[in-house]
Amino acid sequence: MRKRAVYLVTILALSFAGCNSRIDKAQGPKKMAVVISTLNNPWFVVLGESAAERARELGYEATIFDSQNNTSKEAEHFENLIAAGFDAILFNPTDSEGSVSNVKRAKQANLPTFCMDREINSLEVATSQITSDNFSGCVALGEYFVRKLNKKGKYVELLGLVGDNNTWNRSKGFHSVVDHFPELEMVAQQSADFDRSKAMEVLESVMQSNPDIDAVFCGNDAMAMGAYQALVAAGKEDSVMVFGFDGAKDVMDAIQDKKIRATAMQSPNQMARTAAEMADKFLKGKRDFSKKTPLQVKVVTQENIDEFGAYGSDN
Amino acid sequence: MILGLALYNSVNIEPLDQIKKSKNDLIFNAVSYASDFMSNKIETLPAINASDFLVNISDDLDNYAEQKGRKLGISDEYHFIIEGNATITAIEEEYVTVMLEGDKELRIATDFVFGNAIRDGSGMANIDDYQNTMDFNSISVELNNIVRETVVPPFKKKAKIGDALYVKGAVTIDSTDPPLNGPKVIPLIIKFND
Repeated sequence: MRKRAVYLVTILALSFAGCNSRIDKAQGPKKMAVVISTLNNPWFVVLGESAAERARELGYEATIFDSQNNTSKEAEHFENLIAAGFDAILFNPTDSEGSVSNVKRAKQANLPTFCMDREINSLEVATSQITSDNFSGCVALGEYFVRKLNKKGKYVELLGLVGDNNTWNRSKGFHSVVDHFPELEMVAQQSADFDRSKAMEVLESVMQSNPDIDAVFCGNDAMAMGAYQALVAAGKEDSVMVFGFDGAKDVMDAIQDKKIRATAMQSPNQMARTAAEMADKFLKGKRDFSKKTPLQVKVVTQENIDEFGAYGSDN
Repeated sequence: MILGLALYNSVNIEPLDQIKKSKNDLIFNAVSYASDFMSNKIETLPAINASDFLVNISDDLDNYAEQKGRKLGISDEYHFIIEGNATITAIEEEYVTVMLEGDKELRIATDFVFGNAIRDGSGMANIDDYQNTMDFNSISVELNNIVRETVVPPFKKKAKIGDALYVKGAVTIDSTDPPLNGPKVIPLIIKFND
C-alpha cells in the first residue's frame, strides 16, 4: 500500500514537472515592447535600437513600435501590445500630457512602463522615467553661449515641440542664464518642432526682418543643422554662431569642422540601456524604483570635441 | 418630484473663484519655496569644513565625492555645502577669490550664479515629488535669483582685498573634470569678521 502511494506521488510530481516545462516552452522568453515617438529622426532610432538590443542581451524578445509622432498611433500600439501579452514597455512618449492615458491603460493591465527621454505629466502611472537632465545641460550651454558672445548681441531661439516638457526644460535652463545679461537680446523665439526643414524655413523667415543676428540657439541638433543650412544659403554661416542640443552625429561632425559652435551631449544609448535594465529588475521582482532618473548632459564644444563620440558613445 | 431630486443631486454648483482657488492651490510656487529655504533653513544647514573639503577632493576625489557629495540621478557631478573662514585675496569681474586657513583657495561666484548647486547640495528637494520636472528646476532658478539679488550685491559692495570673512556656500564638482583654479562657490551666507 505504502509503495503504491509513493509511486502515485512520484507519477504526479513528474506530471506536474512535465506540465511546467511545457508551459515554459510554450511561453518562450518574456517580451519587451519598445515604443518610440518617431523613427524619422536618427537620435530616436538609436534610442529604440539600443533599448531593444539591451533587452535581447538580457534574454527578452524585443519589438520596436513607431508612433510616428502621433498620440493616436501610440494608443493603438498600447492596445495591441497589451493584447499580445508583452511583459514590459520601454516607452518614448509622443506627448507629456497626451501619453498619460496610454501608460495608465498599461498599468491597469499590470504592464510596467519605463519612460525614456521624455517624461509624462504623472507620477502615478509609469514605473520609472529615465530622462536627460535637459535643464542642467542648457544651463551649462547657456553659460558657454554667454561667454562666446562676450555677453552681448542679438540671437534667435528655435524651440522644439511645444507639447514636450523637454522643449521647456531646455529653454528654461538656457534663459535662466542668458536673461541675466541685458546686452543679449532675443529678437525672435519660434517653434520649429524639432524638425530640420522647418528650422531652415523659420530662420529664413526670421532673418527677413532681423538680418543682423549673432547667434541661433536651437532646442535640438536637427534644428541646428536646419538653421546652419539657412545661414549658408544667406551667406552668413561664418558670422552667426549656431548652438544645438543632442550630440547627433551630423552636428558632432559639424562641430569638428567648425561649422556649429556647440551642442549638449545626451546619451540615448545609456538612457535606453538603463530603462531595459530597470524593466529586467522589475520582472525579477524589484519594486522600489525612483520615479525619475535624470542623466547628466555634457556640453560639447569646438575646444573639447575630441573627448566625445556621437550619441554619447566613447570616443 | 423624484426627477427634481435626481437633478438636484447630480449637479454641484461651486463659485468660480472657489474653483480658481483650488486650481491655484495645486500650482507649485517655487518663489515662496525658495524664499522659505533661504530665510529659515540655511543658517542651520549642515556644511563641510571648506579646508578639509579641498584637501579631500585633491587627495581622492572619486571616493570622497561618493561618500560626502550628493548627486542627481546618473551623473559625474557631485554637490556639497561647505563653510569656512577666509581672507579676500583678489576681486575680479566674475569672482572674489579667498584664501582659507591652510592656504587653500576658493572662488566665490559673483556673476555666474547659475545651476543646481544649492538645491542638490542641500538635498532640500526630491525630484520624485515633482510631476513636472520644470517645477523642480524652477527651485534652482529662484534660489539663484535670491543669491544674486540679496547675497551678492552687499558682498561686492563691501569686499576689499585683505578682508576676513565667514562663507557658507554650495559647490558642484564634476569628478571627470575637476577644477584647476579652486572650486567655484555659490554663496549662501557671507559675514565679514570686523
